[in-house]
Amino acid sequence: MKKKVLLAGMSTLLAFGLTGCGDKADSANGSKSSGDKQTVHVAALESAYGKDMWNKVIDSYEKANPKVDVELTVDKNLEEVISPNMKAGKYPDVVLLATGRKLALTETLIKDKALEDITDVFDMKVYGEDVKVKDKLVPGFTETLATNPYNDGKTYMAPMFYSPTGLFYNTGLMKEKGWEVPKTWDEMWALGDKAKAEGISLFTYPTTGYFDAFFYSLLLEVGGPDFYNKAMTYEDGIWETPEATKAFEIVEKLAKYTAPTTVANANDKDFTKNQQLILDNKALFMPNGTWVVGEMKDAPRADGYEWGMTALPAIKDGGDQYAFTFFEQMWIPAQSKNKDAAKDFLTFVYSDKAADIFAKAGAIQPVEGISSELSGDNKLFYSIYDNGAKAGMGGFAATDAVEGVNMADTLFGTINSIVSGDKTVKEWQTSVEKVSDQLRAASK
Amino acid sequence: MNKAAEKRLFVFVCTAPALILLTIFMLLPTAEVFRMSLYKWGGFSNEKVFVGFDNFKILWNDLNFFRSLQNSIVLIVIVTLITMVMAILFAFMLTREKIKGNSFFRIIFYIPNILSIVVIAGIFSAVYDPTTGLLNNLLGLFNLENLQKMWLGNQKIAIYSIGGALVWQAIGYYMVMYMSSIASIPESYYEAASLEGAGRIRQFFSITLPLIWNNIRTTLTFFIISTINLSFLLVQAMTGGGPDGSTEVFLSYMYKQAYTNSSYGYGMAIGVVIFLFSFFLSAVVSLVTKREVLEY
Repeated sequence: MKKKVLLAGMSTLLAFGLTGCGDKADSANGSKSSGDKQTVHVAALESAYGKDMWNKVIDSYEKANPKVDVELTVDKNLEEVISPNMKAGKYPDVVLLATGRKLALTETLIKDKALEDITDVFDMKVYGEDVKVKDKLVPGFTETLATNPYNDGKTYMAPMFYSPTGLFYNTGLMKEKGWEVPKTWDEMWALGDKAKAEGISLFTYPTTGYFDAFFYSLLLEVGGPDFYNKAMTYEDGIWETPEATKAFEIVEKLAKYTAPTTVANANDKDFTKNQQLILDNKALFMPNGTWVVGEMKDAPRADGYEWGMTALPAIKDGGDQYAFTFFEQMWIPAQSKNKDAAKDFLTFVYSDKAADIFAKAGAIQPVEGISSELSGDNKLFYSIYDNGAKAGMGGFAATDAVEGVNMADTLFGTINSIVSGDKTVKEWQTSVEKVSDQLRAASK
Repeated sequence: MNKAAEKRLFVFVCTAPALILLTIFMLLPTAEVFRMSLYKWGGFSNEKVFVGFDNFKILWNDLNFFRSLQNSIVLIVIVTLITMVMAILFAFMLTREKIKGNSFFRIIFYIPNILSIVVIAGIFSAVYDPTTGLLNNLLGLFNLENLQKMWLGNQKIAIYSIGGALVWQAIGYYMVMYMSSIASIPESYYEAASLEGAGRIRQFFSITLPLIWNNIRTTLTFFIISTINLSFLLVQAMTGGGPDGSTEVFLSYMYKQAYTNSSYGYGMAIGVVIFLFSFFLSAVVSLVTKREVLEY
């Protein structure tokens, strides 16, 4: 008898232990509404701009809209925090997470068609204001492959914080040596030889991932917007055209001017050592974004160091110079349970109040009149387009997943091999075209 | 209740919790890996398409996978060989020889083992740094500039640099395992051997090695499993598989496909291959090293 009790006791204990977790998970479900209040779960990536601005924006939204409770998740590794719940069917309602991240969560959802169509949001009025969202946005931002990934005129991602990218350098060093910032690639090579004579490398890059904006700008320069869009939508043979060949050759030549230690440090762990080369006056230019200033703010630097940023040199004298605009995106998962409330919130992030809070933290949205909010280094960086540089936007079009095939790895990752001499440009070009073929077959 | 039934019940009750946990956390997920390898699935949507053995067919033609497989095999072979030889040697020296600072060395050798793999990655990226790194500066000190290398930048040697870090962290652990079995060999064997005129080297090959053979066999399986696992962690933390995929090992390739290339099903197919590979390799190693166990 005793043993039966024991057995029963142990089984209950075990069962209890196993179900314990399940209960807790249920009550933590973010999309339940308590009373007449609705809960919106906002998940945002904590980037260089910090966490605080999100708390402030949420506070201000809750004040403006008392019917809503916002549950906020902000994390540096947002993917790792929200994906387990998403796999279990618990989706956040609004997510700020850009494409181009290593874990590619946003890309995965695009490929799975798991994003909500938010085209109507841009015709809605900004929450608490009498202006439509689209009238606040700077034109052009919602017509790119980075917001309309399927290239079908429907918008799935809202443009958020943007940042011009370009080549970063030390203005102090250029002044000291009396060097001009090159306007064409020919001037660039001439400068490279001059710098070499003084033991300075012309070029370095943090990791090959930073070549995305660089290469996109280069494609725009060699072939213009039409050519660029064809490349981004995997048109047949596009990577073997003379224009593309020109772009590949420029990178090949640049590889010869690249600081010798670059490849060894071009990984997620040591990339700051490459950035340090610029601060130490050991290399002249690197492709980067405006966040690098904050990222390296505590790093030691050469005397008289001053950040400078330039668009990519033009192909020929008087040609277009491009500075690619990188922007983060905000989107609503198709599986969100409070889509309407989520859309309301999405309009609110473009309100004057929110834009002001974001801008104070250095996060600049593409809304009209934001330039008056800029200060310090940012003033210089964001003025790059006033000084004649053209803006490029959007990346590769979305396709179905192709096993074992990755455009970023092939197009950008291979640059390490070009610099170290393990692969020839011809091999690189051929493999990019092959990947493009495979992805075209998988595009919608 | 009769005795036999009572005993059966007792055994059942005692093992049930472990068995249930094993089923839920080991057997079911493993079965799930096998099942998912037959689907095309991004990882999030509800749309799972059954594709049969398609993922395996793609895998067969995937040169990047074969490169990662090659890297993994290289690591398993060199890490096992070097670590085993050195660990046995150090274990023999520290147990059989009267060396000053004996226990000090034991601690020193064991320390890498208690460090997290991320810390080890940090230490070694400092050691391998091309300009300020310990290794290149040491070579410079001895005027061996021509041996200075981009340890993590040169695609031909980057995988060996990873192997070096793995050896460094593994030696202490295996040394302690070998030491414990060497220490339990009766002293009288060595005494008798030295009376017969056997030198240290002879003693090592004729007494120590045969008597710890069973222990070595066990550690061989450990070597295979731990190298597969730790090489993934180290590669993730140190190079991310770069430059240009030259340090990719098969687990990191699987991770990349499953979680960053939206090909979860394909990743699971790689998982199945790795699973079978490590099982098969362990079985082969265990078979070819089978000897009659010597008792003492």
